[in-house]
Amino acid sequence: MAHAIEVTDLRKVYPSKAGDDVKALDGVSFEVPQGRIYGLLGPNGAGKSTVVKILSTITSATSGRATVLGFDVARQPLDVRRRLTVVLQQTAAETLLTVRDNLLIYAYLHGVERTAAQRRLAAVAEEFEIGERLRDTVQELSLGTKRRIQVAKIFMLDSPVIILDEATTGMDPLMKRRVMDRLRAEARNGRTILLTTQVLSEAEELCETIMILDRGRAMASGTLQELRKRSAHVFRVSLSFAAIDGDLHSRLQALNPVELTIDGRSADMVIHGDEASLLAKLADISRESPILQFEVRGPTLEEIFMTLMRDAR
Amino acid sequence: MKSIGAVFYRDYRQRMTNIGFVFWDLFAPLAYLTLFGIGFERMIGSSFAIDGQALGYTAFLLPGVLAMVTFTVAMNTSWGFFMDKDSGIFYELLTYPITRTQFLIGKISFNVLLSLIGSLLVIALGVVAMNVRIRWDLLPLTAAVVIGSTAGWFFLFSAFAIRLKRMDAFNTVTSAAYILLMFFSSMFYPLTDLPVWFRAVAYLNPMTWQVDLLRFSLLGAGTPGTVMLEGAALGVFAVVCLAFAVRVLNRAT
Repeated sequence: MAHAIEVTDLRKVYPSKAGDDVKALDGVSFEVPQGRIYGLLGPNGAGKSTVVKILSTITSATSGRATVLGFDVARQPLDVRRRLTVVLQQTAAETLLTVRDNLLIYAYLHGVERTAAQRRLAAVAEEFEIGERLRDTVQELSLGTKRRIQVAKIFMLDSPVIILDEATTGMDPLMKRRVMDRLRAEARNGRTILLTTQVLSEAEELCETIMILDRGRAMASGTLQELRKRSAHVFRVSLSFAAIDGDLHSRLQALNPVELTIDGRSADMVIHGDEASLLAKLADISRESPILQFEVRGPTLEEIFMTLMRDAR
Repeated sequence: MKSIGAVFYRDYRQRMTNIGFVFWDLFAPLAYLTLFGIGFERMIGSSFAIDGQALGYTAFLLPGVLAMVTFTVAMNTSWGFFMDKDSGIFYELLTYPITRTQFLIGKISFNVLLSLIGSLLVIALGVVAMNVRIRWDLLPLTAAVVIGSTAGWFFLFSAFAIRLKRMDAFNTVTSAAYILLMFFSSMFYPLTDLPVWFRAVAYLNPMTWQVDLLRFSLLGAGTPGTVMLEGAALGVFAVVCLAFAVRVLNRAT
């Protein structure tokens, strides 16, 4: 399968007057096949937005190479931009113009003909429930609605690649769900989507492949299944006891969990270690305080993420 | 052309949201011409000579007021970059499938139209109400100078507007430029009787080139050789400013 996006050994250094240059990206490489949804995850300052800025030709890389549908972002920026729809992290809208003008001008600036743009506007207004706000200026809208307008813009176009930088931030849950469903449908229709997010459940639900970034470096990447395999030594353990006293609490703490939550007679833990020794330790605990019920599961994306971050820092 | 047309439409819609601003761009120069023209003509007398040609002060000032129109429109248009930055749309615009040059040319296109309308109003006021006799045969040259100089000033100020992070810093730069460029030029007085150092600075000032060109095209004043040279210099100025603005826009982040 052809790759819609290819990023090879991408580095970005922001020079500092004080001399301590900031490495925003430090040799990041990944590929996104056409028609796939790829997620970039990481905490603030991980380098996600820098990747987006380089791919959308807003800024240039210090070294390395990135292509979109075979076009080099540094050498053929216009060809790249002709194939992209980008939603940046910050809310971007023409505040003095109406919602209608915002959507139409966006389409015109992307080369969509007037009649086609009008047709799209009607469909997008219905889907995003903004039909009644079309004549309002953007400055009259709430932050959530502004964000909705910004995301609605991507559906005014048919560009083969969509880049979303924390696009659903500030959106109400129902609209977020609708956008996620729509993105999945777009990917099924062959559009390639690269998204950055800090909302791990969103990435878990939406992305076929994920890369976890921290301080400009790739910590891990792969499908969710592959990431789970890599984190085979991470377990979520749920235990029920007749009662949890201070002594039992200490013994659970002695397992050195990444996370421990006690709620009444239940304990929920994320544990880092091998399965055999974990089961042996649970058996020891059960001898003193009988375990009424237990469940051991593979980690969620959030747990993988937290473990990777803890190991890295 | 389609891309430039789309940016033109965007600027048209934006400018139309604030009719008061447009009105001020168009009518402030009329007030200048009326107040300065009448006031100074009464004070100075009815005529003084430019290259042997006798002119009234209102006629002398008219090309300068046209230069003011282009300068003000260019400055106000470039100020719009701060609105784009405030609304967050600026960086999104950089991801659109248009070249930086197309973007800048599209952005000034609608405002060049405003400049031309403003200039026509000033000329009409001068001709109808103040009896200024102009060279109708050279009107296309006047239009060309208005277009070229509006674009040139816009490209120059855009570079500052894009590069500067603070609006107050931009306002300081443009206010200083407004005073220095206008008063170190042939806009309000002939340069012939001024000190050598003043003339040396004034002849390096694109505002002088623009005003001299307009004075030639509107009134026939000035020597064709000098004016041609100033025209070429003004053309180079506009192209260099465009290249500078594109470079700054490319490095906007």
